[in-house]
Amino acid sequence: MSFTIGEGETYGLLGPNGAGKTTSISMIAGLLEGDAGEVRVSGEIISTRSTAGKSEIGLVPQDLAIYPDLTARENLAFFGRLYGMGGSDLTSRVDEVLDVIGLAGRSDDLVKEFSGGMKRRLNIGIGLLHKPQLLILDEPTVGVDPQSRNAILESVESLSDEGMAVLYTTHYMEEAERLCDRVAIIDEGKIQAEGTRRELVAMVGQKDRVTISGGGDLTAAAESVRAVAGVSEASSSDHQLHILTDDASSILPELLACVTDSGGTIGGVEVFEPNLEAVFLHLTGKALRD
Amino acid sequence: MSAATQIAGKDLKLRLRDRSAFIFGIIAPLVLAFVFNLVFGSAFDATTGLGLDYGMVDLDQSEISQAFNDILEEVEADGVLTIDTYLDETSATAAIEVGEIDAYYLIEAGFGQGIIASESPTIQVIGDVDAPTSTQIAASIAEQYGTGVEATQVAIGTTATVTSSQVTPEFFESLSGDPSAAAFSYQLEDVSAATKQLDATTYFAAGMAVFFLFFTVQFGVLGLLEEEREGTLVRLLAAPIGRLSVVGGKAILAFLLGVISMTTLVVATSLPFLLNAKWGSPLGVTLLVVAGVLSAVGVMGLVASASKTAEGAGNLGAIVAVVLGLLGGVFFPLGQGDDLLSKLTFLTPHAWFMRGLADLADAAPWTAALPAAGALLVFAVVTASIGWVLLRRRLKR
Repeated sequence: MSFTIGEGETYGLLGPNGAGKTTSISMIAGLLEGDAGEVRVSGEIISTRSTAGKSEIGLVPQDLAIYPDLTARENLAFFGRLYGMGGSDLTSRVDEVLDVIGLAGRSDDLVKEFSGGMKRRLNIGIGLLHKPQLLILDEPTVGVDPQSRNAILESVESLSDEGMAVLYTTHYMEEAERLCDRVAIIDEGKIQAEGTRRELVAMVGQKDRVTISGGGDLTAAAESVRAVAGVSEASSSDHQLHILTDDASSILPELLACVTDSGGTIGGVEVFEPNLEAVFLHLTGKALRD
Repeated sequence: MSAATQIAGKDLKLRLRDRSAFIFGIIAPLVLAFVFNLVFGSAFDATTGLGLDYGMVDLDQSEISQAFNDILEEVEADGVLTIDTYLDETSATAAIEVGEIDAYYLIEAGFGQGIIASESPTIQVIGDVDAPTSTQIAASIAEQYGTGVEATQVAIGTTATVTSSQVTPEFFESLSGDPSAAAFSYQLEDVSAATKQLDATTYFAAGMAVFFLFFTVQFGVLGLLEEEREGTLVRLLAAPIGRLSVVGGKAILAFLLGVISMTTLVVATSLPFLLNAKWGSPLGVTLLVVAGVLSAVGVMGLVASASKTAEGAGNLGAIVAVVLGLLGGVFFPLGQGDDLLSKLTFLTPHAWFMRGLADLADAAPWTAALPAAGALLVFAVVTASIGWVLLRRRLKR
């Protein structure tokens, strides 16, 4: 397994349970020693035997890693001190992170009194407290309610905007699609494929599907659409026009213009982009949630 | 502050919040020491202190029987025993039955004349069946007196034969001088440390303190397994701190809890209005406390390292603490002879701690605690070393 994550990039490790995501992360975070190879973060080799480079990594483990009998502020301050922070810098950074994770109003409450979602957010907050170069998030939304999940995903999006490299593991395809600039599909400890969502989809020959509902002469519209660059197939049936294309979003205005120009009327448009679930199924022969 | 002290500080805060360490480290041993002292204190002192109460029934009333009385009174004056006089056997036997005395001497009429006539009259010792040790000591005193008298009889017999003198009490005295000096001598020895014993109050205070010490330090050494269970160990290991700092933080907390617990107990049980225990030289006690806590940290650290879960370590630790406590004689004094149990007892830190305190008894200097403290440190080093080897394997996985 070999991959690189750049600054401000969110890199997804997508795979089913047991694929080796957590093991990979453990080696990257310096918790496990690999049999071979090396992990470098900001040029430093990461190892279980050394603390070098570890301050550049923020880890958000899959299981909650917080102290229930400490307050949110105490949890953050404790881990902040382990990363060499202290004094007013630590205090202000703790306040800042509490704001980011939406726990400023509950900062002095014991964590054991928090909801599951609040604990998850604190779990993430500890990971980014010391402003790491690389933030590793190991399935951070497992067991989280939809509202908290959305808040977590928004937080991750803003982190990459700030220039932080994010390594995100999940077995939720929609999370990977939403967050990750690049995705590695991992199974049985090996990367099966790597690239942007579009590259991965193209890799397995999946195309976007556009369905236009309407009336008029849809047969003529289909013939006209076939001439548009990037369209590989177009057919009409039951007041619907079905189009297969490599990139629906880029040619959609041209397609719609083509339909109206050839005598068709448009009642509705649906675009189906092939997802990573389909790619994963194609590559591994099994569903992502197996 | 170092990472280890940061971790120890965080754990101390957690322990203070859940109060369990306070209960195990201070309240429980204090209460139990008080209860044990209340329930067993008098019996303990009766078997370990001198506490010899004897009676005397002198039906002879001769100068020679009076000489034996004089000897006993001298010993009584030294505080070794008490001697009460009874007119007859009935009243003396009644005194035994009500527990006033442990045994009494019966000197029959004609005892003095028998001695002068070179016969072998006897001093009978009648003892309480429940006080065999006291009775045995009473018999030993009488036997030693008898041995002295026999020696004097031989000397007098020889002299009387040579000079053809009449053997009278006056003649007996003129040759033997002070009959008590000739017939009896005793010596109170400062026995070796192995057979010294603490008073009941100090014994139970120290016993409970060292017994619960092993439970108290568990709150520190189990921390690593608890971090593993709670998932926080992953975060600690991912932080830019050495793995030794993580383990060191737990060891520091265990040591700190142990020292706080022991110090509080030593001070509290020394207060006159509580137990008024006599711990001995403060420096010697400090040495023993530090060495004792280190040995407890080592032993319980080894238990934790050998366990897979915090729950398993807690259960195993409790068993180890109880077995070592029993074998180490924290609840009751074990035999101090050459038997196997007496030897096994010194395979426990508890026994060395108690022995160290016994060595400090009777205003001994602090250096008297050095052998026991040394043994405790050996326990600490050996167990901690094995524990560290096991722990390194666990942290590497």
